[in-house]
Amino acid sequence: MSTSAIQRRTEVRAHDAGAPPLRRAAGKRRDTLHGWGFAAPFLAFFLVFLVWPLVYGAYMSLTGKSLTGANGTLIGLANYAEAFGDADMWRSMGNTVYFTVISTVPLVLVALALAALVNLGLPAQWLWRLSFFAPYLLASTVVSLFFTWMFNPQLGLINDFLAAFSIAPVAWLNDPNVAMWSIVIATLWWTVGFNFLLYLAAMQNIPQQHYEAASLDGAGSWRKFFSITLPQLNPTTALIVMLQILASLKVFDQIYQMTAGGPAGSTRSIVQYIFETGFTGYRLGYSSAISFIFFGLIVVLSIGQFFVTRKRSA
Amino acid sequence: MNRVNGYNSSNTHGMSRRQLMMGGGALLGGLLGAGALSGCGGPAAAATAEQLKFWHLLSGGDGIKMQGMIDKVNAAQHEFHVDPTVLAWGAPYYTKLAMASAGGRPPEVAIMHAARMPGYAPGGLLDPWDLSLLAENGIRPTDFAPRVWKGGELDGKVYSLALDSHPFILMYNTEIAQKAGVLASNGQLQPVDSPAGFLDVARELQKATGKHGLSYGYLGDGAQMWRMFYTFYKQHGADMVLAQGQPAQVDRDVAITVLEFITSMLDDTIATRSGDGGTAIAEFAGGGSGMLFSGVWELPTMKTAGIPLEAMPIPTLFGTPAAYADSHAFVLPHQSSLDEAKRRDVYKFVSDILKGSLAWAEAGHIPAYQPVVTSAEYEALMPQAHYAGAADIINYDPQAWFTGSGSDFQSYFAENVQNVFLGRDKASVGWDAFIKRLDTLLSKPNPV
Amino acid sequence: MATQTLARPSRTTPAAPARRSRKKFPVARVAATAVVAVFAVIWLVPFAWATATALKSETEAAATPISWVPASGFTFDAFAKVLSEGNIPLWTWNSLFTSAAITAITLAISALAAYALSRIEFRGKKLLMGAIIGSIIIPPPVLMIPLFYQMLSLHLIDTYWAIILPQVIAPAMVFVLKKFFDQIPRELEDAARVDGAGRLRIFWLIVLPLSRPILAAVAIFVFIGAWNNFLWPFIATNDSSLLTLPVGLQTIKSAYGIQYAQNMASALLAALPLIVVFLFFQRQIVKGISTTGLAGT
Repeated sequence: MSTSAIQRRTEVRAHDAGAPPLRRAAGKRRDTLHGWGFAAPFLAFFLVFLVWPLVYGAYMSLTGKSLTGANGTLIGLANYAEAFGDADMWRSMGNTVYFTVISTVPLVLVALALAALVNLGLPAQWLWRLSFFAPYLLASTVVSLFFTWMFNPQLGLINDFLAAFSIAPVAWLNDPNVAMWSIVIATLWWTVGFNFLLYLAAMQNIPQQHYEAASLDGAGSWRKFFSITLPQLNPTTALIVMLQILASLKVFDQIYQMTAGGPAGSTRSIVQYIFETGFTGYRLGYSSAISFIFFGLIVVLSIGQFFVTRKRSA
Repeated sequence: MNRVNGYNSSNTHGMSRRQLMMGGGALLGGLLGAGALSGCGGPAAAATAEQLKFWHLLSGGDGIKMQGMIDKVNAAQHEFHVDPTVLAWGAPYYTKLAMASAGGRPPEVAIMHAARMPGYAPGGLLDPWDLSLLAENGIRPTDFAPRVWKGGELDGKVYSLALDSHPFILMYNTEIAQKAGVLASNGQLQPVDSPAGFLDVARELQKATGKHGLSYGYLGDGAQMWRMFYTFYKQHGADMVLAQGQPAQVDRDVAITVLEFITSMLDDTIATRSGDGGTAIAEFAGGGSGMLFSGVWELPTMKTAGIPLEAMPIPTLFGTPAAYADSHAFVLPHQSSLDEAKRRDVYKFVSDILKGSLAWAEAGHIPAYQPVVTSAEYEALMPQAHYAGAADIINYDPQAWFTGSGSDFQSYFAENVQNVFLGRDKASVGWDAFIKRLDTLLSKPNPV
Repeated sequence: MATQTLARPSRTTPAAPARRSRKKFPVARVAATAVVAVFAVIWLVPFAWATATALKSETEAAATPISWVPASGFTFDAFAKVLSEGNIPLWTWNSLFTSAAITAITLAISALAAYALSRIEFRGKKLLMGAIIGSIIIPPPVLMIPLFYQMLSLHLIDTYWAIILPQVIAPAMVFVLKKFFDQIPRELEDAARVDGAGRLRIFWLIVLPLSRPILAAVAIFVFIGAWNNFLWPFIATNDSSLLTLPVGLQTIKSAYGIQYAQNMASALLAALPLIVVFLFFQRQIVKGISTTGLAGT
């Protein structure tokens, strides 16, 4: 069947090439119609629920629009001016960047370490995959319920465990200096399995010849890991780091659920600040402006990442 | 529970659910099935009655009491069935209520703090109560203390109907007071009418306990800081007006005096300098102090603790009797398409709850509906009856779209004043920063 | 036959590493197993502790000193109570319905668009491709405010539609599908075209059947995302009867107050469906995530 298919294709091509210009133009028109026709359903959703909100959000950010519909008049860039002088906005932005840094590092390193260990050819791979990946399948609310309970100062398992080593109880979610770290611990447990899977898949794709050649040179496990595995994983690592940064910058769920941004605003993320100015403070216009400042940050980071990866692959 | 009923009455849902649970659903299916079966035991009448969605933010002991009152109303008639949804106190609740009202399909009736009402009504998020319809159900303006009724009014319309008032009060331990010699012959705390007099009493109590004289928790809790501050601020007869477009009108000297007075109590002898709510309650409940500044809602906890308990309105130390308070009040979230029959049922439900609010008094709150407060049963309720008079001297938050229980206003107060209470900032510094924050808010157009 | 030609060499999973290590480094392998096992135990502790708590009475759950096994024995009371009084079965249904609808619509519209981008030369294609790729970087939270306002204007707040509609746009998935379609030999389609089949027919009869693995991968990725999404459903719905499982759980936390056993029972019931599905379809899910997971950039 495949031979005949190729034959027919050549026939079709030949047929097309020999067609008069008029018919070719007609074919082009038909292709354009088909192309947009196939794309139409997606495009409709895309325009209505992505492009339009984006445009409308940009417009709202130039108004004083409120949740009740009042104050919809244009006020120019006043919202942006206010946002740049808003200490709470900067604090939330700072918290978000802080969370991104202290969560991305362990989320990448722990995933890499676990994947490297499992990839040594351990028995019962499915069991490790299950253990590390299962939390990723939980809703944020479930994770928050689990960890609020684990972090409970008096009844929590963690403080109970620490007490065995005579470590005084820690106010995991109630101490402004500790709360963000507690959020990171819960987040690590929750999502490290995702990066772990990506790393594991990438490691299993490294051609065996590399390792065999190294073995002939008498290289040990450590050297193989650092001289073959890690360099081979570079593109994967770049992608994982970038995806993780973008995901961490968007943090909202587990923080809102576990500390609601507290204590004393020490864990309030920028997305939560957008949520609160918009829905708690009713100021949709102002919160749209903050949304776009946040968006700007993401765009800048993405463009930076684009150049970094391009340089690497070049 | 009735949701479960309604849901299982539809066979298609049940079927597809079961089908979709195929793969690994044996265990899950079993558990869901069990839930469905136990859910089916509800009264058949519920299926024909109007379902009234009711949102409130009362949890813990208050929540249990409220559930009991709802159950009673539900059981007493068959026209409607009230289906409550409980959301977390504070910002999460108010955010959701505003979003639901703006969305056009809000609950038929909800509970709101009266002081939050000005943040909702002007934007059309609430419908006003119809006084004639209320009268038909036996509820008249004269059934409420004047201040409480006025707290529900805005621009001449009644938007919130108070279930209670819950002022900031003073609880004390009679045994410790007796030991300290500050108990009058009638078994109640001896009258005090000056700041110095109050501090003396507190010091005597401190000698009696050997720990602290007074418990007051505020750390990380803007509401607690504000309640205490506003009580003493209003006792000076001072006013606070927050009008959009103008700077806040406040009496700065009075405010600083009050902040300094509060700080003088938090000297680690009279009261601990850095106590949070939980610590204060535990300390007073454990006999570690003789007095507690707190809301009436802590009363059940203290009764359970088994200490010899009395309570009274906060003594007038600065000339004018005054106490901070808010009210749990019923509101009608604006419906984009109003169901008249349901609205009528809401009036019936609310009036039934008001008339049965003696049960609510057991949770410590002062019922707003006066026929309950003047009843013999309430008079016999101790120590509730001893602070019922606070309803006449209560002060709600200054009216503004951003004030009220659990509002940002209280967080701003906390952010700027906590360091004053802790002795790290001068009172004037904290106060000026707070006012600056308010002025920024007031300079913007009202978003409601 | 055709699927074999499609197997991407980069995705083969060699069993070789196991052989290599077993031969040369038994000590390292034992040590590695021990380390991984310790981690796995740590990772399972929250599940175990939640289960132990959910099987206690409320009094035992709040008792100090804490213990794994309650003195009065385990009980299913918390589960029974949560199932009979709460809305968990209803919320599970809401999650299932909305996630299934989102997955179905996403797959349908994304596959059609991806096919156009992969196979049809049309005016404006580059622009469309650019718009779709560019939109990948838009974080959903940036749109939450205008989207909410849009849903208000459309009177869709507190309906299933409000949950579903904005979640069906998955530009990254269009891109993943396009890349897969690009690898399907055109010969197969040309043959059908000569036989007189229209584009839609070719897409349906030839391309889709060949694309089952990638469709499954995308479906899994989209379904998990929709099932666990919190922020948007939290904004779009308020009515307790319409909440999805993650959003509903957030409300019980406040309603139950300090009822730890019931909290944990609810959390476990909410976790159960996907965990059970995972146990049965582990291979497909792992493959799906590995295939689509890096598509975000």
